[in-house]
Amino acid sequence: MEGGTRELQNINGMSTRQASVHAKWIIGQVIGTKMKKTAKVRVTRLVLDPYLLKYYNKRKTYFAHDPLEQCTVGDVVLLKALPEKRSKHVNHELSEIVYKVGQVVDPLTGKRVAGKHYLEPLTESTEDTELSLTEKLEQLNITASTPPSTS
Amino acid sequence: MPMKGRFPILRTLEYLQKGEVVFKKSVKIMTVNYNTHGDLSEGARKFVFFNIPQIQYKNPWVQIMMFKNMTPSPFLRFYLDDGEQVLVDVEGKDHKEITNHVKTILGKSDKVLEAEALAKMELSNPANFGPKKYFLRECISEVEGQVPHPGFVPLPKEMTGKYKAKLAANSDE
Repeated sequence: MEGGTRELQNINGMSTRQASVHAKWIIGQVIGTKMKKTAKVRVTRLVLDPYLLKYYNKRKTYFAHDPLEQCTVGDVVLLKALPEKRSKHVNHELSEIVYKVGQVVDPLTGKRVAGKHYLEPLTESTEDTELSLTEKLEQLNITASTPPSTS
Repeated sequence: MPMKGRFPILRTLEYLQKGEVVFKKSVKIMTVNYNTHGDLSEGARKFVFFNIPQIQYKNPWVQIMMFKNMTPSPFLRFYLDDGEQVLVDVEGKDHKEITNHVKTILGKSDKVLEAEALAKMELSNPANFGPKKYFLRECISEVEGQVPHPGFVPLPKEMTGKYKAKLAANSDE
């Protein structure tokens, strides 16, 4: 008995297989991009150990269609289930890259972030940024003192 | 069940079943970003330690993912079925405040939960009789105070069919 797919009678008389994928939306980390336009995504779900009664991460790999090849290994990615199977293993497509590796953007402030500190300054700097460094030096009016004449 | 660890009560079914947050049907993914050090993330860390097992127990089909030390401030993020995302800032909040907040915005209210429990109870009426798998009792004879099956205990002579038939025949004569 097949689980997860049903045969439907189409209007034309041909039966179509409707892919009823279990997971409609999933989040995971990209582990491989060596396939053309496809990303290998590892999804972890919390599963209760029946004896210890503690939750552990259980991994599962999914393949996602990524038409623009914009994923790199290590991105955290949101996948959406496709209405019908694209190929034998690909049932999902890339919906959006949640956290791009190395360029994480803090959703609360919108600034780029690395671990516990911000890469971009939080407040706009109040100094005049139009003046270049040379103009600032000119403003300081430094002149070289004339050397004492040798007798 | 051995009680090992810092808070072994977290590993009891009773604790897990006491979870209050039951998400609405549209919530599919829950993501928690928090930091391992720092006072501002303290509430988030306690939330992850104490409340996430309860939430996952009550919502087995919601994917919950934890991210550590990615951003300076902790937050929760929910992904709903229609593509909508809900961002909840938890910086400086206590874990109880966080659970209450999540319950009010995305959890089923107490009334809805009670109605669902009632509907579930209505399906299984304890007054019905039937196979042991679905009902409590199979026959009225199992109830104390009722006439038992003659196979186990012979009926008194006055209740047997043949005595009653003989009585009826004698009275007709």
